[in-house]
Amino acid sequence: MSGIWIIAEKKEHALELLTIGRVLAAQMETKLSAFLWKDQNVPEDYIACGADEIMLAAPGSEGQSLDAFIPVIAAEAENNHPDAILFAATARCRDLAARVASRMNTGLCSSCTSVAYDAADRTIKMERLAYGGAAVQKVICKTRPVMVTIPPGTFEQAKAEAGRTGIQRELSTPAPSVLKVIEKKTKVRETKDITESRVIVAVGRGFDKKEDLDLARKLACALGGEIGCTRPISEENHWLPEELCIGLSGVQVKPDFYLGLGVSGQVQHATGIRQAKVVAAVNKDENAPIFSVADFGIVGNLYDVVPKLLEALKRV
Amino acid sequence: MPTIITCFKWVIDEAYIRRGSSGDLDFSAVDYKISDYDRNAIEEAVKLKAVHGGTVASLTVGVPEATKGIKDSLSRGPDKAFFAADASFNNLEPSQTASLLAAVIRSFITPYDLILCGEGSSDLYTQQVGPRLAEILQIPSISFVQKVELKDGKVVAERRVEEGVEVVEAPLPALVTVLPDINVPRIPGVKDTLMASKKPVVTIKKEDLPPFPAPCLETVEMKAAKMDRSCEKFGTDAAEIARFVDVLRKKALI
Ligand SMILES: Cc1cc2nc3c(=O)[nH]c(=O)nc-3n(C[C@H](O)[C@H](O)[C@H](O)COP(=O)(O)OP(=O)(O)OC[C@H]3O[C@@H](n4cnc5c(N)ncnc54)[C@H](O)[C@@H]3O)c2cc1C
Ligand SMILES: Nc1ncnc2c1ncn2[C@@H]1O[C@H](COP(=O)(O)O)[C@@H](O)[C@H]1O
Repeated sequence: MSGIWIIAEKKEHALELLTIGRVLAAQMETKLSAFLWKDQNVPEDYIACGADEIMLAAPGSEGQSLDAFIPVIAAEAENNHPDAILFAATARCRDLAARVASRMNTGLCSSCTSVAYDAADRTIKMERLAYGGAAVQKVICKTRPVMVTIPPGTFEQAKAEAGRTGIQRELSTPAPSVLKVIEKKTKVRETKDITESRVIVAVGRGFDKKEDLDLARKLACALGGEIGCTRPISEENHWLPEELCIGLSGVQVKPDFYLGLGVSGQVQHATGIRQAKVVAAVNKDENAPIFSVADFGIVGNLYDVVPKLLEALKRV
Repeated sequence: MPTIITCFKWVIDEAYIRRGSSGDLDFSAVDYKISDYDRNAIEEAVKLKAVHGGTVASLTVGVPEATKGIKDSLSRGPDKAFFAADASFNNLEPSQTASLLAAVIRSFITPYDLILCGEGSSDLYTQQVGPRLAEILQIPSISFVQKVELKDGKVVAERRVEEGVEVVEAPLPALVTVLPDINVPRIPGVKDTLMASKKPVVTIKKEDLPPFPAPCLETVEMKAAKMDRSCEKFGTDAAEIARFVDVLRKKALI
């Protein structure tokens, strides 16, 4: 037996994986199976969106951690020999994928930006970033199953098609894991999704204090855009929520216009703005790496330049 | 009192990688460093020791030249180091790295209570080695941790997930991978560097370990990422700002 499997906790991520899974399954002339936690999502929806088979796992009990499913997934894979297993690259699923891959002695390509079947040599070729985004690494997996994690947002979500049918089967209930989730602190998302923004003003450590970000907000407002940030701003300073962090470990953005303020432009950040149409930056260090990845750079102190820009924009 | 192992990778500093004329990677000017987030892992291990006592061992698998990294790691506070060194431990694939680390831990650093890793390495950033190592050792693992505590034979950690934070608990021994915001790594001083050279280092040769598996993944190509920009610079006087705004207007961005 063979097949392409997809594993994601959230429906929106599963639908993206179904899109690429469908492509691979068609090219490899095999079926597409989706792993689904019962009670969380509707199996029929997944079938309508491209799955030929649904593997229904017991719902995770309260306090249960996903790692309880490692043996269930590995046992299923050992019995059914899928060609490839695609995981959504979310925190819990990345972890799950790595442990399942280890248990099955197979390779896992993390955070793939592209997955393509090469009919000529019958391999799945995967691309990912390396060296902080300075390099694109192309890999193949010589062991089976080929395992992959794919960051959310990489593919379009599959759409439902009328008249699709598929089978459903139940998997065994796992023994509880020793790892226990004892508390969940859910946060509410307070910002817009910047991956869709047309204009982004990104703030970096060049800002002295949190209140000063108002300057960036004003500029974003004048340009009709949103603000984003570097990892230290969200992660170390906690001045802005993580979902605004742009780069390797944050989001990839594709605005028409990106303007970095006090951003050094190290490769892990720069890699997140590769798809921006126009990149501009304000930095007081003329040798800052951001200038070599920017179309237009102003060498100067942002506290001096931003008010001037605001003035000039008023006159436009 | 706990025995804590902190795993670090000695990596190329990516800031020095250049794009060669044919799109290849130019490593001619590179320097090496302890992978960024592994410095947080080492710091956290040393902080836990300050609370609970015990010992901290740093551990790396790498080429013999990584001995500089061993010194660097010890100057950050661990009591001793384990170094699995071989010229062939270059370009290891995550499954191989995890397998080698597991072999060293089993043969040389058992029993242990806690293993710390970085969230991801600065060069490959596969975010796999930690959980793979835990799977081989058959111990629980908690990734993406921003806060960690040891309590009554358990590790309690705050793990960051998309929906917020989960507080997770696991019995020891366990493995934790840390996020960069868990602490601010110290910058070793001259005294720390001097002390480091007196600390014991156990060097383990390839022959001392069971044969490690062939790679699962094969890199078929590694190219420099492209970033073609016009790199035009502007000053800050009124005329320059006006010229900047004008360029934006011509590009229909404002
Ligand atoms: C594995 C890994 C993953 C990472 N992922 C990401 C990621 O996804 N996103 C990300 O952003 N980073 C990421 N990083 C961190 C990244 O390497 C950099 O450390 C970070 O991007 C730097 O942020 P910064 O530009 O805000 O700060 P700094 O590098 O400190 O730069 C501040 C800049 O501001 C300038 N400046 C200071 N004062 C002023 C002023 N008054 N006016 C104008 N300019 C001023 C300085 O010249 C300097 O260039 C990652 C790192 C690693 C190791
Ligand atoms: N060669 C190595 N030696 C020791 N630890 C390593 C090595 N490679 C990776 N690690 C550990 O595994 C973590 C994750 O690495 P990676 O899976 O490559 O992103 C790193 O932050 C280190 O803690």
